[in-house]
Amino acid sequence: MIAGLRTRGLVAVVALVSVAAIVSAAPLGASNQARVRQQSSGDTLLIAAEQELATANWISSSAGSSWGVWELGVHTLPQAFTVTPAGAYEPGAVLAGEPTLTEGSPQVVSYPINPDAVWSDGTPITSADFEYLWKQISTGKDIYDATGYKSITSVDTTDPKTAVVTFSEPYAAWKDLFGGFYFLVPSHLLEGKSLNKAMKDGYAFSGGPWKLDGGKAGWKKTKSITLVPNDAYWGTKPSISKVTFQFIVDSAAETKAVATGQVLAGYPQPQEGILDEFDKVSDLQYIVDFGNVYEGFWLNAAKFPLNSQAVRQALMAATDRQAIIDSIVKPAVREGKVLQSFVMPIFPAYYTPAFADAGYGPTADLDKVDALMTGDGWAKGSDGIWAKNGKKATLQIQTTAGNEARELTEELWQSQLQTAGFELTIKNPSSDVLFGVNGPKGKFQVGLYAQVGTPDPGLCITFCSKNIPSKKNGFVGQNWTRSSDPAIDEAWGAVDVTLDTEARATAAKTGQAALADYLVSIPLYQKPNVFVWNKAKISGPLEDNPTLGPFYNMNLWTLAG
Amino acid sequence: MLKYVLRRALYSIPVLILASMLIFVLVREFGTDPARARCGVSRDKQCIPRVEKELGLDQALPVQYVDYMTEFVQGHWGDSQRTGQSVDDSIRRALWDTTQLAFWAVLLSGGIAVAIGVYSASKPYSPGDYAFTGLAFAGLALPTFWLGLIMIQYFTYELQRWTGSADVIFRSIPFAEGPQNATQYFQELALPVFVLSVQLIAGWSRYQRSSMLEELNSDYIRTARAKGLPRRRVIWKHGLRNSLSALVTVMAIDVGALFGGLIITERVFSRPGMGTLLLSALQNGDTNILLPWMLVTGMFIIVFNLIADVMYGVLDPRVRVA
Repeated sequence: MIAGLRTRGLVAVVALVSVAAIVSAAPLGASNQARVRQQSSGDTLLIAAEQELATANWISSSAGSSWGVWELGVHTLPQAFTVTPAGAYEPGAVLAGEPTLTEGSPQVVSYPINPDAVWSDGTPITSADFEYLWKQISTGKDIYDATGYKSITSVDTTDPKTAVVTFSEPYAAWKDLFGGFYFLVPSHLLEGKSLNKAMKDGYAFSGGPWKLDGGKAGWKKTKSITLVPNDAYWGTKPSISKVTFQFIVDSAAETKAVATGQVLAGYPQPQEGILDEFDKVSDLQYIVDFGNVYEGFWLNAAKFPLNSQAVRQALMAATDRQAIIDSIVKPAVREGKVLQSFVMPIFPAYYTPAFADAGYGPTADLDKVDALMTGDGWAKGSDGIWAKNGKKATLQIQTTAGNEARELTEELWQSQLQTAGFELTIKNPSSDVLFGVNGPKGKFQVGLYAQVGTPDPGLCITFCSKNIPSKKNGFVGQNWTRSSDPAIDEAWGAVDVTLDTEARATAAKTGQAALADYLVSIPLYQKPNVFVWNKAKISGPLEDNPTLGPFYNMNLWTLAG
Repeated sequence: MLKYVLRRALYSIPVLILASMLIFVLVREFGTDPARARCGVSRDKQCIPRVEKELGLDQALPVQYVDYMTEFVQGHWGDSQRTGQSVDDSIRRALWDTTQLAFWAVLLSGGIAVAIGVYSASKPYSPGDYAFTGLAFAGLALPTFWLGLIMIQYFTYELQRWTGSADVIFRSIPFAEGPQNATQYFQELALPVFVLSVQLIAGWSRYQRSSMLEELNSDYIRTARAKGLPRRRVIWKHGLRNSLSALVTVMAIDVGALFGGLIITERVFSRPGMGTLLLSALQNGDTNILLPWMLVTGMFIIVFNLIADVMYGVLDPRVRVA
């Protein structure tokens, strides 16, 4: 009896302690009412963020996330060049003007630093910060991408307000340096310390219009990032007192959160019906934009029958890309256009509709398919499938399993190819297998996935033969299609080393034509972006910037009370 | 009793070890290569070989396992292979969020399930019993994600439009800075707790009904009623007490599983709990998170199984173990 009472007593105590612990997570008190009103009254701009950044050490191999740039990087740290919504490079606020490029051997770029540019502690931003970043990237371990930085031989810091960067060889994409996914950081605070340890969980310093609220505490892992104005910023200071990016991974949840006002802005993944949802709420305004991420079919030129250029060209001719867009893109965003190049139209200086120029329209051309295949020695069997030397034109496609839009694209293409005389089977692995194993090791015939375009037109990394991953190089290299064409190598190699803008544009257009001819990949469409905000609460120059994100100029926005 | 508890605790250790070995091998051999996951977007050609060496992935599998477990039992859970963030911080945060959800769902569901079970058993085959039976089957059949989305549609979105309120009454996402008072806490948890509770109530009420029916047909209950004891007292004091042991056992086992099994609810309501952490770790092949995650959830299952055994003995002294 006593033992039973003792046990029951123990159980009761445990239960009471548990309830007390849980309830204490919900603080009571009338004094919190004011804070509640403040949280929802308009002092804080709440934005939905679909991804949480992995690390705030921007040069780490774990970085390289667009959302990381959009929700923290671009607001808190300066870049030599930024990218406008129209896709053009322009000097960042940290520069006093356009850098001076001295061509020749060696190539030299002089960055004039804005005399007013200071870190949040008041210390001027100097050429030493450029030197620091260069050294960290070019000599550090575990770096996301050191391309270009290893071509720098020195950064002259004699003049604190002019960073003179000397290159060992011509490097055409110099405007991507000290920018892109990277940001300048305060060397006076970080010299001699582990950059990763100092920054990976957030940082208190700032060289932009915003800073993390409370330093590292401003990044509440798995929950949100909160920014407050940087009082030391030399440009237009924000009028909004606080901005919080709340991590909402699920697109449907994000859409509902925006529609109900639980957040005031978002950049959700487009899905069917999303615009209808936003149309129901009169306070919401949205922009549909086509950015620098694009979908395509990627053909492994090392595998039969794709090792034949004629077959690849025939596949292109057999594809009704407009039908795919009508089924995949238009239901979500009501518009869509066939992509005719691997350089995005939003970068007009380098773009040319190369595939259209090569005679590939948005719809299929079955006569062209017949001509190409018969010219290459193929003939249709009794089953209507092309065959040559006893081998059928059979293909297998892979994409990320569970992605509805892509799976539908595969089914559409399967039907189109069947009509044209090709047999397509579908086998979709998980994304980690597709991108981690099958792509690099060439264990695929056709892949369906997206790539990210950049304002810099360089595509050598994706299509030049020197970048084919192989056993010899540990399967490192981005040329998964195994394309190996002298015309492509020459044109895109020239793009990487030609400094003259016009000559570079010419080389890029030549390169695009070579890609349309060699046809190792079929461009489908630019992925749409939807930027939505509550127009009753937020005003200002709101617009999408596919590179920097739509929140890039938040310091110019105002928030209604 | 103490000897029994200690013995059960000791038996659970080899179970945990075997489970950890199996998970380790499965994840390493068939899951995402952590080096490729970390270096996937890197253009540093040396990234993969360097990360493999750093993470010990170039060692034989048994060596990797022993190295890992040696660090683990010393409390060094390491950092996420993907983000470099501290693993025990990640799990602690996620566990706290899931615990709150599970706690309130169990509290709500337990009370309601018992009440429904008692009612249905005391008035079997009545219209009320049939109604609760139908609702229970519907609750068991409803997919969690569907129910969650419907609740958001009607109780967050439509309710706001209907009331014309500027703010939502029931939230579909957590407050960005966390709830600041009890009202906000309720607003944030109401819908996910309800969604979670529907299936729990559906299952538990059936158990309670079945167990209670058996008790109410027993000889001692018949005797009590023959002696003139009030019906209510017979049901609640005698019948219920003796029928609870079966339900409590089931509840304890279910509760243990909740700590790893709220993936869909957490996803629908954007809650950063253990389910969300698991999904993220799986997608990134982050074994440094997967393994402690599995061990923590395994521990909860084992502990709650133990609690179930203890509670059984508390409720029914006849079966108290030695």
